[in-house]
Amino acid sequence: MMDMGSTPFEITINVVKTVLVFLMMVQLVPILVWVERRGSAFIQNRFGPNRIGPLGLMQLLADAVKFLTKEDFVPDKGNKYLFYAAPIFALIPASIAYMAIPMSTPLLIGDSKFLIQGFEVNVGIVFILGVSSLAAYTILMAGWGSGSKFALMGAMRASAQIISYELALGLSIVGVIMTYGTFNLSEMIAQQQGFLTFNGFGSTLTMPLPNWGIFFQPLGALIFFAAAFAESNRLPFDLAEGEAELVAGFHTEYGGFKMLMFFIGEYGHMMIASGLFATFFLGGYNIPWTTVQGVHDWLASFGFSADLTNVLNTVLHFLMYNVKFLILLWIFIHVRWTLPRFRYDQLMDLGWKTMLPWALANTILTSIVIFAAAQFAF
Amino acid sequence: MTDAILFWFLAFVTVGAGLSVVLMSNPIYSALSLAMTMVGVSALFVTLGAFFLAGVQLIVYAGAVMVLFVMVIMLFDLKHEIQAFTRGKITGAVKIASVGILAGLVVGAITLSTKAIELSQKTQADADTGKTYADNTMALAQNLFLQNVFGFEALGVLLLVIAVGTVALSRSRGGTHARD
Amino acid sequence: MPLGGIIFITLFIGVFGVILIYLARWTGGRAKRTSEAKMEIYECGIPEQEKKDTKISVKFYLTAILFILFDIEIIFMYPWAVGFKEFIHSGAGPFVFGSMAIFLAIFIFGLWWEIKSKALEWD
Repeated sequence: MMDMGSTPFEITINVVKTVLVFLMMVQLVPILVWVERRGSAFIQNRFGPNRIGPLGLMQLLADAVKFLTKEDFVPDKGNKYLFYAAPIFALIPASIAYMAIPMSTPLLIGDSKFLIQGFEVNVGIVFILGVSSLAAYTILMAGWGSGSKFALMGAMRASAQIISYELALGLSIVGVIMTYGTFNLSEMIAQQQGFLTFNGFGSTLTMPLPNWGIFFQPLGALIFFAAAFAESNRLPFDLAEGEAELVAGFHTEYGGFKMLMFFIGEYGHMMIASGLFATFFLGGYNIPWTTVQGVHDWLASFGFSADLTNVLNTVLHFLMYNVKFLILLWIFIHVRWTLPRFRYDQLMDLGWKTMLPWALANTILTSIVIFAAAQFAF
Repeated sequence: MTDAILFWFLAFVTVGAGLSVVLMSNPIYSALSLAMTMVGVSALFVTLGAFFLAGVQLIVYAGAVMVLFVMVIMLFDLKHEIQAFTRGKITGAVKIASVGILAGLVVGAITLSTKAIELSQKTQADADTGKTYADNTMALAQNLFLQNVFGFEALGVLLLVIAVGTVALSRSRGGTHARD
Repeated sequence: MPLGGIIFITLFIGVFGVILIYLARWTGGRAKRTSEAKMEIYECGIPEQEKKDTKISVKFYLTAILFILFDIEIIFMYPWAVGFKEFIHSGAGPFVFGSMAIFLAIFIFGLWWEIKSKALEWD
């Protein structure tokens, strides 16, 4: 096992950790579905699910029981192997990509160091982009395997949309990479500590704001956020499942647990987008205006033991990451119930003719500013 | 030891997927197997320490080129092609020719492998001296943007030509998708 | 890179998915063929229409191939972007900046030509 630890103990911990992150993602999905239903009811001034359990929370269990008692259906005209393989493959890219996002500062106990993420990848961004681009196969396999024209057309639309917005997404990240000068997500987060500081033109300017990437890359952040909606097939870009035209898009023929697995994949992409946005633009797990070392010293001043200080430090940063992460997930849900759906030609126009040129403009602007700031001094 | 296990596992998966590209009679399975081969090659790049290249392999080949292949195969109903792939005199001739080419490739690979072993020992020596991914990507960037800058610009022009050609072909008269 | 961990979790998720599907089949049972219409693909009250009756626009193919071209160009910007500050510090800044400026000019011309030639219009 490369880089999974040197002793059997470390390898075991790291392997258990990956499984734990995966189960965390799977567990978050029913909660997000509940938030989505109650949140939409709140936005549209209705009750939403409120019969089963307090606030309708037990609705999730009732759904699971219903899924378990559904018949296992494959259409006669479909391709059985692809039909079953598609929902299984839907889980893999989303989960693996999410594991590369650091969720808290590494935990130091004694001589051991534990990363609070599935696994550390040197070329974090490239890895996440590459793995999540494999999600297009899931959709194509489901669309082809169903043997239905609605599913096939939904799959074609969804994959064309995903690849179109992948361009804007990939290009908006170029500015981010230039600003931080690294592919590694942990190093990016390390550069976003303390107060907002501009270096350039031979001088330094400090402002009373957190040192977040969004102040260096406002246009890039906007494009990244909009493209992330399209990548995760959410409204206002969920053309793949335009109910009025295509029934349910590529998962028209699916039901029960197979349908649920597509849901896990879709929410997984939402989580990746939120986690990456927090990492690139909102300081990741950093607590605003402070540094990791500063929080550590503050905790140590209470007289805790060294190990307890480290544990508390990690827990505090983990909570901070989750605050940002959950707020972004809520924005995803809020937008879904606020904006109407685009028409398909409008969607493609927006991706190719508006967002791609603006992402290009952002890249050029960033490179000129960085170049000028380093080359000239006043 | 674990590295060797990992390599043999990945090699097995990659070669197995590569074989299934040619052995599957349904084109859609062939295309998906080819995508699997690309992912396997990307993982093999990782074992060699070429992390950025592994990512590029995933994004460009597995995530873009093979998606195009799968999409195009799905555009058509391929009942007749399945038969054409498995029966007929031309197919038989192609099969025999493929076996010949394969035999030639195997001989070539064996003669080249001695060189490859020397090269891998050199790479291993580089890896042992502690070169990290940052040097790796930086070396790639230096090679691309300082030493081979003409090739880099020529590639930009080449991609432009391909784009123009694609658009021209898709709008040409005749065929099933003629416009105007 | 923790390749072993990635392979392990991929296999784990695969097994997890297979178990989930088999569990649902065990508790719910396979679909009983109570009628021929039940096993047909979805359609609103008319005889089923298969995917082979479906014509799909060549635009999808065009979009996919243009995506590949632009994707490759964007990938070439990644090593440039990650090393840009180091290039400036090592004094190679103007040269590297200029080489990417030419590349971007070709990129922009390509995009402008695609838009102008109406290759990206969906009707």
